[in-house]
Amino acid sequence: MGAWLNEPLTWGSALILFLWSTVFLLIVLGFVTYAIYYERKVIGWMQLRIGPNRVGPFGLLQTVADIFKLLIKEDTIPRRADRLLFIIAPALAFIPSFTVLAVIPYTEKLYFADLNVGLLYYVALSGITTLAMVLGGWASNNKYALLGGMRSAAQMISYEVPLVISIVGVILLSGSLNLRDIVAAQGGGWFWSWNLFPQIIGFIVFYIAAVSELNRTPFDLPEAESELVAGYHVEYSGFRFAFFMLAEYVYVYAIAALTTVLFLGGWHAPAPFLDFVPGIIWFLLKFAFIVFSLFWIRATFPRVRVDQLMSLGWKVLLPVALLNVFLTALYLELFVK
Amino acid sequence: MFNVNITGEYVVFFIFATIIIGGAVLMISLEKVVHMVISMAAAFLGLAGMYVLLDAEFVAFVQVLIYAGAVSILMIFGIMMTKHNGEAAEPVKPLHETLAVIGALCLFGLLFYAIRASDFQSTAAFHPGEDNTLAIGELLFTGYIVPFELLSILLTVAFIGAIALAKKEAE
Repeated sequence: MGAWLNEPLTWGSALILFLWSTVFLLIVLGFVTYAIYYERKVIGWMQLRIGPNRVGPFGLLQTVADIFKLLIKEDTIPRRADRLLFIIAPALAFIPSFTVLAVIPYTEKLYFADLNVGLLYYVALSGITTLAMVLGGWASNNKYALLGGMRSAAQMISYEVPLVISIVGVILLSGSLNLRDIVAAQGGGWFWSWNLFPQIIGFIVFYIAAVSELNRTPFDLPEAESELVAGYHVEYSGFRFAFFMLAEYVYVYAIAALTTVLFLGGWHAPAPFLDFVPGIIWFLLKFAFIVFSLFWIRATFPRVRVDQLMSLGWKVLLPVALLNVFLTALYLELFVK
Repeated sequence: MFNVNITGEYVVFFIFATIIIGGAVLMISLEKVVHMVISMAAAFLGLAGMYVLLDAEFVAFVQVLIYAGAVSILMIFGIMMTKHNGEAAEPVKPLHETLAVIGALCLFGLLFYAIRASDFQSTAAFHPGEDNTLAIGELLFTGYIVPFELLSILLTVAFIGAIALAKKEAE
């Protein structure tokens, strides 16, 4: 990709880049389809059920059927809703979720953008989705939707702070905001040179805050179905609802890829003698493990209360993340310089 | 007079300029407060695009993070807590509006003439540097350390003040 990105833009290279991003979009949509299937299967097995097994062999076409159902459903807009905002909110939620994927490097050669401030780009754009959720909740003119929107705004703002501060340690160690440089700085042969071990506190804070940013159990308060019916998207149906769900699962992809890049060494093999396996395989293995762990957590944890959520974010995660920054800076000052 | 050659940069500049001006105009003319905040967020995003065009990626994405993200969400959050019925439109004053339009056109004409007539001296080509994020960081912690520390103290004071006020109200 690097060769195409650096040459001057002609119609030909623009066409190639456009085709690549289309292929990438299809891959992400395929991931979302089968992540939902896999999630239902995994949770089913953990709860001693079978999970979807009717549509197609082993139920493999279940999600395809679900998506088809959503697409042909009647599209309803409440009469008292704010029509314009109701319509643009799902698109506003989805667009940033797909654009943040541009900065993720998969291997040394395979990346879609070599941005100097890649990490900042990711954090900045993912904030726009929160705006879309709040707007969707407000535009629906429904008290449950509004409550869900409020909760999502409070939760996302509270957890974005520890999320960003927990990454600062990684930035200090690698000295760059460019995600490719961050991965390159972790290559040392063995797995203990990955950021996971020197930055174990940062990793734990990052992981908890990431689960919360994804609105998944145990932090799924914005859409707690037993309290709020469905949260901010309660009035949405058909393909607009599908867009909100799509944005949520694309963020699962994005966060899993980002965790792999920041803490698990990206495309690097865990040991020098395993170098013959291509980097993309290692990336996919680590990525799949993170995705699985998200489903695992969802199947095993109960939901937290609103006040517990807030005090965990501000009173535990934020001080711990700050402590991590301080310790990393101290280590760099005393032992590296 | 219009001796410009159309490049990709030029086209993108006009797209972002349209977004900024459109957002700003809609911000003033729309009626619902939430719609105003959204058009303002659009203007902020356009500004961020402008910064990217000027090779200042760091400033651009901080702009998106702080203004288009955090500030807009906080404003919407505040607006939702209060009830805003559409206020009745003010009676139109024809004379007042005509004068305002004439004044605005005169100002535009004056500025346009002044910009076109002035002769910009071509300075040495600007080099954004290899890594302008690194450069900003180094400058901030060496040359501008005193203003930086003063700002940190100001923010801390504001932060403590907010907590004190919130505590007072809770009692």
